[in-house]
Amino acid sequence: MSPAPRKRAASSTAAKAGPKSKAKSKAKSRPRTRAPTRPGPAKREAEGGKNDPREQLRRVLFLVPYAVQHPGIPVRELARRCGVTESELLADLDFLMEVGSPPFAPDDFLDLYVEGDRVHVALHQSFTRPPRFTESEAAALAAAVGALGGEGKQRAIKALRESVPRDRRASFDELVERIYAGAPPARDSVMGRLQRAIAERRAVELTYLSASSATEAVRQVHPYTLAQRLGHWYLYGHDASRARPLAFRVDRIRDCALTDQRFEAPSEGELAKARLFSEPTGEGIRVRLGSLAAEWALARPGAMELVKRTDDGGAVVELKGVSEEWATRFALSFGGGAEVIAPAAAARAFADAVRKTLSRYQ
Amino acid sequence: MQKAQRLLDLAAFLLRAAEPVSWREIQEQFADDYGGTGEAAIRKFERDKADLLELAIPIRYEPGDEDLAAGYQINRDEFYLPDLKLPPEDLALLYLAGSAALASGAFPYSRDLAHAMNKLSFAARAPGASEAAALATHHLSRPDAAGTGTSLLEELSRAVGTKKRVRLVYAGAERRARTERDVDPYGLFQKGGAWFLTGWCHLRRAQRTFHLARIEQLTVNQKAPRTPDFTPRKDLPLAEVATRETWEFTVHAPQRCRVRLEPPTSPEVLASFGPRARLTEDGAATVVEVDATNGEGLVRHVLSLGDRAELLAPRPLRARARAILADLARRVA
Repeated sequence: MSPAPRKRAASSTAAKAGPKSKAKSKAKSRPRTRAPTRPGPAKREAEGGKNDPREQLRRVLFLVPYAVQHPGIPVRELARRCGVTESELLADLDFLMEVGSPPFAPDDFLDLYVEGDRVHVALHQSFTRPPRFTESEAAALAAAVGALGGEGKQRAIKALRESVPRDRRASFDELVERIYAGAPPARDSVMGRLQRAIAERRAVELTYLSASSATEAVRQVHPYTLAQRLGHWYLYGHDASRARPLAFRVDRIRDCALTDQRFEAPSEGELAKARLFSEPTGEGIRVRLGSLAAEWALARPGAMELVKRTDDGGAVVELKGVSEEWATRFALSFGGGAEVIAPAAAARAFADAVRKTLSRYQ
Repeated sequence: MQKAQRLLDLAAFLLRAAEPVSWREIQEQFADDYGGTGEAAIRKFERDKADLLELAIPIRYEPGDEDLAAGYQINRDEFYLPDLKLPPEDLALLYLAGSAALASGAFPYSRDLAHAMNKLSFAARAPGASEAAALATHHLSRPDAAGTGTSLLEELSRAVGTKKRVRLVYAGAERRARTERDVDPYGLFQKGGAWFLTGWCHLRRAQRTFHLARIEQLTVNQKAPRTPDFTPRKDLPLAEVATRETWEFTVHAPQRCRVRLEPPTSPEVLASFGPRARLTEDGAATVVEVDATNGEGLVRHVLSLGDRAELLAPRPLRARARAILADLARRVA
């Protein structure tokens, strides 16, 4: 790491004559023989990592306009926003000092400087907004939108497409066909109303089929956000009757109606909780798997822990935070290749389910 | 000069130019970089131009007319990210979908997605923006550890996008053999929270699907990175492959199957039979009819639904379900 940025940051209080003349004095002292003096961190990390040169370009193309939009933003905050450490940010600023356009007169350079731990922009060289979406940026977002669905789906994807440079739109169209992140969890109208309620922070009435009771009920919910876990979508929000935040499986929402009641924005902490869901609690349920079943089960995502491999090539796994019913269904999905073995209550529930189902076929 | 610096200099120069800049002038101004004569300098410039376009910075060649000399320029309207001009609920959809995808931990082009979420804050403000930004930041600050599931998905994303052939070491589940094969990666899809690759398998000479967790080794063809290795076939759209249920895998000739579901039936159970299932009411119960080409897959699915589901037809599959249950009942007795 070059010590230059820190020095500049410390001595910048001397620059009282205004940013322009400061830029000039700096530029004069900066020889235009731009030999690669900086330690090139570029080659050290895998392609696509944050020290990849392409990645650095993408970062600074965001950094400069962001700093223009937020004059005097603290170094720490700008670094956080760009996903780098403070010293990496200072290295980026140092790099930008060398960037300009011919004829490379003093005012032809980018000039972002640090004064009292805050970043200011003296010269932005027209980098006042980030460039358009690349086709892979837009296509990744479009794939995410496609998997969530909603009435605005087509409009949103069209807007993304139009934000890609003209020359890359054909590539965007092609790429969108190559990523499929899943089918939407509910009708577009239901998804659309949920999204609107989340955007406008309006309470909703959900017609919801709860898994445990298998009955439909209307629930009053302050919808916070939508999150995905193990292939299922959940609405996370505050349930009025239970007086606490809960996760609702979106594919069990039969209908959704907006009310006029508004609610306070959830805190970032609450939103973060939504992403984590509840931590698995209680005793895990153990399932014994035959050899073929084990191969498949261990490739599945989920809160599953391998307890041991058995002599026949099978395995014993422990499922965390699932109900007895869920474990039973999981075991039965292997077509006889798996059974619930512990704890005793779960094993009994499994045996009961097997006998009950078998009686249908007698 | 470092390449990153040269590219930014060039972008700043052409973005500022009031009118197209001739090749000669570019050569003069960037004498150290493009100053050489002949093909080499032009090729270097063309490569830089392509690199900039990959960052969504389009350098356009204006052919010129009587008033204007021919040359290169970056049109500002073509450069700046425009406002998306979407209603709030559509913006919420973008933020919610993008945030959920980033938070899920595995998504194709996840780094690009994080950049997109960052840029989105310029194109549109909406509730959820600050959470999206936090997720994007968190994602970008993460080093890409080689050999993790994330980097496998990223590498495959690139191979799909650039149409480069890949070599896989794949651990098959049923055959239990480890095979090495060349695959033309057509696309990536998500099912049940896991990611799959579909593509033309040169070993099997057919379009095949691969579970990413079973790919033990991946090598992307590094030769001619900007030249596609293949043209994807169009006869099997990705969405169709992705929504294919296990009983729709090709194992035997199609068989019409019927499943009876006792009430109350949840929408998620009905949806679990896929978009091609035919549903009919039978009193309070629902009868689901599907065409199966892999009966065993259907048996397993029906069993996983518990005692509210019953395989009615065909007889051999019903017998198979009964045999599995009888065997299990003996074992747990």
